[in-house]
Amino acid sequence: MTANGLAIIAGKEFSDHLRSRRFHLLFGILVVIAAVGMITGVVQYTKDLSDYNSLQMLAESEDDPALAGNLAGLKPSILSAYSQMGMLIGGIGVVLGIAMGFDLMTREKESKSLKSLLAYPIFRDEVINGKALGGVGAIALAMGVVLVFSLAVVTILGIVPNLGELVRILIFGAVSFLLVFTFFALALLMSAVSKDSGNALLHSLIVMIVLTSFIPIFAYPPVYSAVFGDPPTPPGTSAYSYQQSSSIYTVTTTKVGVQASDTIDPEELEEYERASREYMTQRQTITDIVTLVSPTGNYQTILSAASQPAGDSAPGPGNLLGALAYNIIALLAMPAAFFGLAWVRFMREDIR
Amino acid sequence: MIRCERLTKAYNGVPAVDDLCLEIPAGEVFGLLGPNGAGKSTTILMLVGLIQPTSGACYIGGIEVAAHPIEVKKKIGYMPEDVGFYADRTAKENLDYAARFYGLSERERKQRVDDLLGLVGLDGVGTTVGGYSKGMRQRLGLARALINDPAVVVLDEPTANLDPRGVLDYRRIVKDLAGRGTTVLVSSHILSEVSKVCTSVGILANGRLIASGDRETLSRAATQDRVVIGVDTTAPMPRFTNPEILSAEFSQDSCSARIVARKDISDLIAETLYSEGILPRRLAIEKSDMEDILLSYYAEETV
Repeated sequence: MTANGLAIIAGKEFSDHLRSRRFHLLFGILVVIAAVGMITGVVQYTKDLSDYNSLQMLAESEDDPALAGNLAGLKPSILSAYSQMGMLIGGIGVVLGIAMGFDLMTREKESKSLKSLLAYPIFRDEVINGKALGGVGAIALAMGVVLVFSLAVVTILGIVPNLGELVRILIFGAVSFLLVFTFFALALLMSAVSKDSGNALLHSLIVMIVLTSFIPIFAYPPVYSAVFGDPPTPPGTSAYSYQQSSSIYTVTTTKVGVQASDTIDPEELEEYERASREYMTQRQTITDIVTLVSPTGNYQTILSAASQPAGDSAPGPGNLLGALAYNIIALLAMPAAFFGLAWVRFMREDIR
Repeated sequence: MIRCERLTKAYNGVPAVDDLCLEIPAGEVFGLLGPNGAGKSTTILMLVGLIQPTSGACYIGGIEVAAHPIEVKKKIGYMPEDVGFYADRTAKENLDYAARFYGLSERERKQRVDDLLGLVGLDGVGTTVGGYSKGMRQRLGLARALINDPAVVVLDEPTANLDPRGVLDYRRIVKDLAGRGTTVLVSSHILSEVSKVCTSVGILANGRLIASGDRETLSRAATQDRVVIGVDTTAPMPRFTNPEILSAEFSQDSCSARIVARKDISDLIAETLYSEGILPRRLAIEKSDMEDILLSYYAEETV
C-alpha cells in the first residue's frame, strides 16, 4: 500500500497551525479587528445610507431629476464597511502570513527532523508542497471564519447584502486570502533559504517592509518629485526654491511662485500641456508599477474598487474583475514566485 | 543486500567518498568505522537516498538507490546521528506520524507503535518528546528506524547518548534483528561497541574503504608484522633499546609499558629486567583490540 506523503504532511502542518499558540493569538486579534472594523463600518454605512435617503427624499420632493441622477451612483454600499475592515485586516494579515511561514523549514532543520522526514518513502517536493498546502488550508480557514463572522455581524445588525454585494464580499475575502498567502509564501521562501528561524523572521520582515512601505514611497508626490523631477511649471509662473539651514538638524525648503503680468504665449501653453501630459503619464506608469509590485498596494486598489458605491452605474463583477486584472494577476504572481523560489531552493538543498 | 559500486560523492570537487566498493550480505551486522571526515555519514546518506552520488551507484536489495529512491526507502530504516523529533508531540504521535508514510492501517500503526515503544523501553512515557533526555531520544530514534519492519537498518552512531542499560537494550535489539535476517549497518566511533555487535567491519579513511572483513581477518592483517607486548613491573623499568621495537609507551611511574615490536622480543625484555634487578609482575603478548586494529590501518593510510 502506498501512502500519500503530500496529504500526510499537509494534514500534519494544518493541524500544527491550528494547535499553535501563535496562530491562536493572531487569529484572535484578526477576529477582534474584523469585528471592530465591521461594526465601525456598519455604523458609518447606516449614517451614509440615512444621509442618502434624506437627499433622495429631497430630490423627489423638489422634483429635481438632475439631483436624482447624481444620487443614483452614490448609493452607499455595505462594501464600505468591508473596506474599513480590510484596511485593518491588511496589517494583521501580513503579520499572520509571516508568523505562519517563517519557521516551516527552519524548524525541521533546528529540530533535526528533516533527515528522518526525507528518509521516509516520499519525494522531496512532497515535503515543501505539503507544508505550503497545510499553511494555505489554515489561512483559508482563518479568512473563511472572518468572512462568515463579518456576514454574521452584518446580518445581526439588520443588513442583508444583495447578490452583487455578496459577490463583491467574496472578492474581498479572496483578495484578503491572497494577501496573507503572499506573505506566507515570502516567509516560506525565507525559511527555505535561512539557516535558522531567527534569520528567516528577520529577512521576512525586511522584505515585508520593502514591499509594503519602501516601494510605495515612490508613488508619493514629494518623493516622486525628488526622484523623477518636479512637474512642469505653467507658463507665466516662475518658481524657485532655496534651502535655509538654521542648524545641522533643520533644513527648510521654501517654494515661491510669482505670477507674471505678461500674457501667455499659446505655444508655451501647448508645450506646457504636452509636458504636463507626459509627466502625468509617466507618473501614472510609475504609480501603477509601484502598486503592482507592492502586494498591499494591489490589495488596497482591489479593495477600494470592490467597495465602490453600489448604484446603477457600478460595474458588474465581471467588469470589476476585468478592470482589476493586472492587480489580481500581480497578487497571484507574487506568492507563486515566492513559492517557486522556495521550492527550487529546497529541492537543491544539500542534506548533510 | 547492500552493495556499493565505485560510489563517489564530491563536494566542490573534493571527494567525501571516493570510489567506494562494498558488499554486505543479508543478515550481516556491518560496522562502518572511520575517523571524523572519513566519509561514513556521506556514504550512509547516499545509501538511504538523501543525496545523489557524483558517480558510481549503490544498491539495496538489488535496487539502485538513486534510480528508485522510494522503493529503497520502503525497505530501509534509518536513524541519523543527530536524531530529531517533533518536540511538541509525544513518542506515540511521532511514531504514528512516521508509520503513516509506510501505508499502515490505523490498527497496524497502533500495534506497531506500542510494540516498538515496549521494545525500546519507552512504553508508558506520556510526555512530549521535548522533555526527553538525549538517551530517550536515541531509544525513540531506534524505534522509529524499525517502524516499517525494514529489511535493512542503517544506524548512525546509535549508542552515542545511551546509558549502560540503553546500550544493553540496543545490543539486544540489534542481535534480534540479525537473528531475524535483517541486515544492519552501524556507523560508530565507539569501537568497543562495534566489536561487540558487528559480525564484520569496514574501515573508511579519506572517503576510501581501506579494509573490510570480519574482526579476526582484520586483526590478523593488522598484526601480521607487529607484536604488542604488555609489561608491568614492581619498580621503574629502563627504556628498552632494540632495533625490533617500533614504539613504546610508558606509564608516568615507568612501572607499566606497552611495546610494539616487529616480532616477539619478550625474552629480551625479561633478560633486560633481570639484569637490572627488576621484578616483572606481568609480561605478556596482548591481543589486539578493535582500537589497535583501527589505528594500525589509519597509520598505514597516513604513511
